[in-house]
Amino acid sequence: MTEPMTLDLREDLRKGGEPLPRILQAVGQLRPGQSLRLLATFEPLPLYAVLGRKGFGHRAVRHAEGDWEVIFSPQGSMPTQPAAAPTASDMAIALWPKPSASLDNRGLLPPEPMVRILDALERLGPGQVLEALNERDPVFLYPELQARGAAIHSEKVDEGVRLLIRRAG
Amino acid sequence: MISNRLSRWTLLFFACALVDFVAAQGLILAGVTWPLRPLWAPGTLIAVHLLAVGWLLLLILGALFQFVPVITSRPLVSQRLSLATLAAVQTGLLAMVGGFLGVTGEVPALAPALPAGGATVLLGVLIACLNVGKPLLRTRPLPLPGRLVLSGLGFLLLTVTLGLSFALALAVPAFTPHLAPLLAGVGDHVLAGIGGWFTLTAIGVSYKLLPMFMLAPEERGIPGDCVHIAGTAGFALALAAGLARIWLPTRMLALAQMTGYAAIALAILIYLGDVARIYLTRKRRALELHNKAAVGAFASLGLATLLALGYLGTARLSADAPMVAFLAFFGWLSGLGLTQLYKIVPFLTWLSRYGNTLGRGAVPPRVQDLVKESHGYPWLVAYFVGVLMAAVAILLGRADAFRFCLGLATLATLGLSLEYWRAWRAHYVGSRTPVAVASRFLHDQRG
Repeated sequence: MTEPMTLDLREDLRKGGEPLPRILQAVGQLRPGQSLRLLATFEPLPLYAVLGRKGFGHRAVRHAEGDWEVIFSPQGSMPTQPAAAPTASDMAIALWPKPSASLDNRGLLPPEPMVRILDALERLGPGQVLEALNERDPVFLYPELQARGAAIHSEKVDEGVRLLIRRAG
Repeated sequence: MISNRLSRWTLLFFACALVDFVAAQGLILAGVTWPLRPLWAPGTLIAVHLLAVGWLLLLILGALFQFVPVITSRPLVSQRLSLATLAAVQTGLLAMVGGFLGVTGEVPALAPALPAGGATVLLGVLIACLNVGKPLLRTRPLPLPGRLVLSGLGFLLLTVTLGLSFALALAVPAFTPHLAPLLAGVGDHVLAGIGGWFTLTAIGVSYKLLPMFMLAPEERGIPGDCVHIAGTAGFALALAAGLARIWLPTRMLALAQMTGYAAIALAILIYLGDVARIYLTRKRRALELHNKAAVGAFASLGLATLLALGYLGTARLSADAPMVAFLAFFGWLSGLGLTQLYKIVPFLTWLSRYGNTLGRGAVPPRVQDLVKESHGYPWLVAYFVGVLMAAVAILLGRADAFRFCLGLATLATLGLSLEYWRAWRAHYVGSRTPVAVASRFLHDQRG
């Protein structure tokens, strides 16, 4: 299997640089089937949508505070399965602000994750985003979010299901 | 509204199912039948169909109407069709009860009610298959629980079609002479129902419910696929060969039938191993009561399978089939049903009562506050003790002891029904629950 190309953006990002051109340039240089390994100081959420449209799945690992490793792979070699939610479009998510709050709901029995998410969402301001990591797809949560006008993006990740929920603006 | 994902009629299915279950047990306690009476006796036919059609069919269909949209993320074709199924199955069953009195000569004028009732049940089943079949068939890839349910639905159709053929052969023999030989396949009708339909479907549902409330991995990998493939192929082979043997009693077909039985046993043993794996790999260390008690159901399934294998080895199966069938019916299927209802009823009640109030200032009770495990525990223990002792009484051929033990299980069923009712009425959380929200479940949800 081809070794992934590594792009370390941490230094650049700490200096306040604009990383997108370098990333797109690197993507353009990838060989067929080759993955891109990105090292960054935060989880590059908007990039998931941008590269997703180019056919890349992603897998993110947080090694420490301010130290993220994300591997983008051409779909087929490491597909990310969409979870069963009515999701917001990738384009829309790219424009969402960074999450204002984050919940780790792993280890909680249903319906506790749903209780926590709806509770946390009420504390957010209009248009703000909540990030949540759930053990499994919270099927009973989706209609409730829709009823409140919230937009949802969900994806399956190794640890469970990662949700981005934007409160109605 | 959260009710989009809630099946509107599921709790009514459960209520009707429990009434039929208690009625069947009441008939057995009243001396109408017991497992060692001939299968063709009217009391036996009535009790068995109250159990199979009234209790287990309604229980599992009600569960599927809630469960299939959850595993497929697709809605049912229609909530109203669920109600049509309930009406057809329940009225068809009542007609069948009359019909059984007719075809056995008790009240001959009622004989035509048997095929009429059977056809009505088949209609209800066809509507249910349409209702859950569409979301199941449109989901790609279909997860393991869904695949098992699909297999189960195929065997359900076979079971009911065979049953209707028997009804026609018994009620109007002059018009259906070609169906008469099929009556020799009554054992296959029982196997298709208890095994192909109920057991495969219950396995499928359990593969979703057990990991969900124990926080265990849902992906079952190769063992799960083996259970599905060996189970489906095993029941299909055993039933096809068994039915073909009615007309062609060859050794080859007998061998095929035995191979089918072996595949079924293999599937069940792999499943039980997989269930043990789910329990052992759970992240939630403290088990809730329904999953503790479900061990009784899994033990019954294991015991029934081993006994069936042992009897097959000594060619005694037909003589000892009543005890195996009793353990499968009461210990495994009914036991699993009663234990899982202890979680499903409060869970659905909680979603319907409190879902739309979450995050809006009100602090809802926890799901586990809707039940009091110290009240449910003795009933669940009494149920499984009663069933196990009743199975021993069958082995000893003691009808009086059997009724005494089954009486304990019946008492436990009534006690558990009261606990389900209390959960639905939010009895244990008292005044924190507005009654208006409670009634929404049956009266005010979107169809």
